[in-house]
Amino acid sequence: MMNTPQQVKNPSSSLKSRFITRFLGALTKINAEDPISSPSPTRIFQRYRRIKVASNKSMAYSVRSRRIWSRAMLSRFRSRRSAFSGRRSSVKTTNCTTINVTINENKTAKGGLDMQTDELRELVPGGEAMDVCNLLDETAHYIKCLTTQVQVMRKIVDFCHLSK
Amino acid sequence: MQPCSREMQAMNSLLSPTQPIPLQDLQPNGNSGTHQAQIHNPQFDPTSSHDDFLDQMLSTLPSCSWSDLKSPWDPPKSDETPPSNPDNNAGFHYDEILASKLRQHQINGGGGGTTAAMKMMMQQQMLLPGRPIAAAGGGGLTMPLHNVIVDGSSFKSPNQQGGEGSVQALYNGFGAGPLHGTNNQSPNQPQHFHHPQGGNMQTQSFGATAGTVMNQSQASGSTTGGTPAQPKQRVRARRGQATDPHSIAERLRRERIAERMKALQELVPNANKTDKASMLDEIIDYVKFLQLQVKVLSMSRLGGAAAVAPLVADMPPEGGDCVQTTAGGGGSLQRNSNGNQPSANNDSLTVTEHQVAKLMEEDMGSAMQYLQGKGLCLMPISLATAISTATCHSRNPMMNKGSSSNHPLLQSNGDGPSSPSMSVLTVQSATMGNGGLDGSAKDAASVSKP
Repeated sequence: MMNTPQQVKNPSSSLKSRFITRFLGALTKINAEDPISSPSPTRIFQRYRRIKVASNKSMAYSVRSRRIWSRAMLSRFRSRRSAFSGRRSSVKTTNCTTINVTINENKTAKGGLDMQTDELRELVPGGEAMDVCNLLDETAHYIKCLTTQVQVMRKIVDFCHLSK
Repeated sequence: MQPCSREMQAMNSLLSPTQPIPLQDLQPNGNSGTHQAQIHNPQFDPTSSHDDFLDQMLSTLPSCSWSDLKSPWDPPKSDETPPSNPDNNAGFHYDEILASKLRQHQINGGGGGTTAAMKMMMQQQMLLPGRPIAAAGGGGLTMPLHNVIVDGSSFKSPNQQGGEGSVQALYNGFGAGPLHGTNNQSPNQPQHFHHPQGGNMQTQSFGATAGTVMNQSQASGSTTGGTPAQPKQRVRARRGQATDPHSIAERLRRERIAERMKALQELVPNANKTDKASMLDEIIDYVKFLQLQVKVLSMSRLGGAAAVAPLVADMPPEGGDCVQTTAGGGGSLQRNSNGNQPSANNDSLTVTEHQVAKLMEEDMGSAMQYLQGKGLCLMPISLATAISTATCHSRNPMMNKGSSSNHPLLQSNGDGPSSPSMSVLTVQSATMGNGGLDGSAKDAASVSKP
């Protein structure tokens, strides 16, 4: 599992390479602590959560504090770690309800852009305290990082897939 | 943020107020003395530097007419008193002497150095009218210029002659620059000014901005508006020529936002929308989709399939959404999430399955939509049948990828909508436990576990 699945184009210190390094490290750790073959759904679910958090965290750490959203995400992780069990579920539910509830609200576009702006604020970490201009900026960077994340994870999945 | 360009500032400064009140209010020492000499020196502390400045300038200009300007400078002469009030500040006096001198210079065919000299002078003078303007607040620009125009019109012949019409026009032209929003006169008037100014370089350089405000200067000249009457006589500045600091700040802000939106457009696929609102919608959907992908991919990294079921059951509102928004991405998303599942159970984890999944992307999308409509998810046939026989023990529910098995699955869904849904719900309740997925937890709670 620990073979590096892809060659990075810019090996030195691009965002992608940093993320890959960190993420793979986190994955190794998770795998070490928690073997894959645990059948219990709860365990699996927890593992899923851990991997997801590891992925987001790796990305946030790779961006350091250069961006507002990464800073917000990092502080969220730290606070979450302090209030361990109670927070986790609440954060998870927040994400779900956000996605589920706001699908219809999105459609009424003509009522000004405030609704979409607010929704964007919810999606982008740390977006509540930003003005629209910065919000758009952060969104662009966030999208870029998310695509990198997805790309890398997908490659890892495919690689592990094919190697089995 | 003071939006005035240098030229406008310069013009503004040139046409400093001639009425005593604004400037007097602003003088730090107060306008105690009426004597021009007294006023001149202490009040205008920066004038000392201006003197140097001005001397510089003066040296560059032909000195023919400057001598008589210089002489009244330090000891202001009484015969140079501004027309309106005898106890005007020397500041006005100062300005008008300079202005008149400059006019004369220009009328005499100043030549190349005029523009630079003019600008220098006017910037120098910036301080002087700057204070009354600042004091008068937003409308401050108009007020002093009102006065200036008025005085300009009456200020026919200080010492220098040479075309009152052109002088006045020149004066008004300069004053027109920073003046804004005072009347509704048509923009024809700028041309009216342009003509007398003829070969005046200043006018040409200020033509653009002056054009908008010459109307107001004309009108204000006629109205003798000493009071802030400009709200009533506001003229819309030309598009992109607004000199109001607020509107310029607003414009800058809008431009920045437009820039950002363009950058986002490149990042987000299907971003050919020109409407800002729909563009934002696209962006929001795309961000949601990416976040969801991360979730699913982190799921798929697990060997266990059970974890995917709650996600999938959870996903219909989201999955449908992402399938609708990005067909290719959604399809491949499915593929990836399915990709790892069979590894746990099926030994036939091969590339062919990938290909099958790819081929099925469209079907998957439509299948997912269909299931979403019913609140269902895909399940292996064996499990579905097992559950439909009311055994409802969820072992390892997983996504089914086989094409052959899929259709029966769909059919079975069509046959017995209740049982698969129940199975899904039981799967959710089984797997979630402490997971706490609210969306699906509600459903689980509503259905009693068989």
